[in-house]
Amino acid sequence: MMRLHFAAGSAHSASVRITLAEKGLEPELHRLNLVHFEQHAPAFVALNRHGAVPVLEDSDHVVIETFLILEYLEDTHPEPPLIGDTPRQRYLARKWGKYVETHLAPHLAIARWAALNGKVPEDAVARLANLHTARCELWLRARGGFDKDQLAVSAQALSIAARRIAADLADNDWLAGDRFSLADIAVYPHLAQFGALGLAVAPPVEAWLKRVAARPSVQAIAGDLFPLATMGPEPGRWG
Amino acid sequence: MLDVYSWEPNANSGKPLFCLHEKGIPFTYHYIDLVAHEHHGDKFLAINPDGTVPAIVHDGFTMTESTPAMEYIDEAFPGPPLRPAAPFRRWQMRILLRYLDNVVTPSLAMVAANRAAGPPLTGRDADEIRANLDRIPLPERRAMWDKLMFDGTSPRDIEESQRRVMEAIRRFDRVLARNPWLAGETFSLADIGVFATFHALPLEDDYEVGDVWTPHLMRWLRACHSRPALQAAFGMSRGPIARRAADVRRQLGVAGVEQA
Repeated sequence: MMRLHFAAGSAHSASVRITLAEKGLEPELHRLNLVHFEQHAPAFVALNRHGAVPVLEDSDHVVIETFLILEYLEDTHPEPPLIGDTPRQRYLARKWGKYVETHLAPHLAIARWAALNGKVPEDAVARLANLHTARCELWLRARGGFDKDQLAVSAQALSIAARRIAADLADNDWLAGDRFSLADIAVYPHLAQFGALGLAVAPPVEAWLKRVAARPSVQAIAGDLFPLATMGPEPGRWG
Repeated sequence: MLDVYSWEPNANSGKPLFCLHEKGIPFTYHYIDLVAHEHHGDKFLAINPDGTVPAIVHDGFTMTESTPAMEYIDEAFPGPPLRPAAPFRRWQMRILLRYLDNVVTPSLAMVAANRAAGPPLTGRDADEIRANLDRIPLPERRAMWDKLMFDGTSPRDIEESQRRVMEAIRRFDRVLARNPWLAGETFSLADIGVFATFHALPLEDDYEVGDVWTPHLMRWLRACHSRPALQAAFGMSRGPIARRAADVRRQLGVAGVEQA
């Protein structure tokens, strides 16, 4: 039996839900409310010490880390194939899957936290101590507000990310080969927030956003794609 | 045509070298001397504009992300499979590699770079250092080197990195208490990745690594250092890493090719 823990306003959750829909899978759903910090409730932290959605439970396996959940779904349910037909396409999908975690998502979370004036409610502060140490530190930083230098670093990282995505879309409709793939699914929910946050994207990216948004799997969750002040992965500490 | 542009068989540079030796695939090795800043020179930037090693070029297709490149090598070439067949095992392999790449290797690199930064740079001209830094294409890399050369990394950051390395050592030891290899019953890319970064760990006195503290990790290190393919990859070193590998083998009581 499969069970997905997810939240509205979580771009990572959206990637998993799009993949599930593309594969015609309907797991049991557990919706968490990030505004109320339900992802830090003790019962959920017991499942994932990072206190983050999405989490996929498959029989007795607990599967975390968004792109690796997508790969797990590809390995357990290969039809229809979404990671590409050739080693080259799969390399590109994995490259983008990794880039989302190291560059796009962490810096988008910081820019978003500042733009939406994120706050940790007082009753949620004590629960931060239940998180894995590094995760707790990141939330404490967010609570204090990110400084000007960090916001500048994040803005620059996001503009480079937008340029890289535009470069790969210059001669292609999709990010990793000639078909819609896990690369598009991993990147899209994050890029879809750029407009609302006043972040610019080039025309080829605009066209690609429209192409992805037209897919029924994406339309089904369109109402949950809004930006929400919450933390992403930790930004790189060294290089 | 398979070309690997890389530094020593160590950390990310070592991943494709170890991986290709395990698969038994011939390739052309282009040594990129990081100490001489060759990775920021025009010749290498023409291959990888980001100026990071390794870069792997297969029939005109360039790969610069070492972990996805290892999966590519496993898929595109014959030889023993380096990924477990079962999906959950494969997920375990990938999550350990993700943890290694995003948390462990940068922490170890921060500690090692700060230890090494002092002596070779004293006496060097600040303008010359600045000119070298300006050649680094990626802003996050430039910021890292700038921190290292001019401001110094804060003691708090270094302590946090040491804590993370120690946490990783304990985590890997726990995983290896349950399984012979990091992703289960078979040797996999997770073992190659972690070995590439941790192969000389017993020589580091900063961390509690040894038969007393981490017996499972030590058993695994001996098993890895005994593998002929991994020893052959160390043979590609121009010196420093091969010497360290020989020192570790001696300390672990593992026979090396030169003694065999």
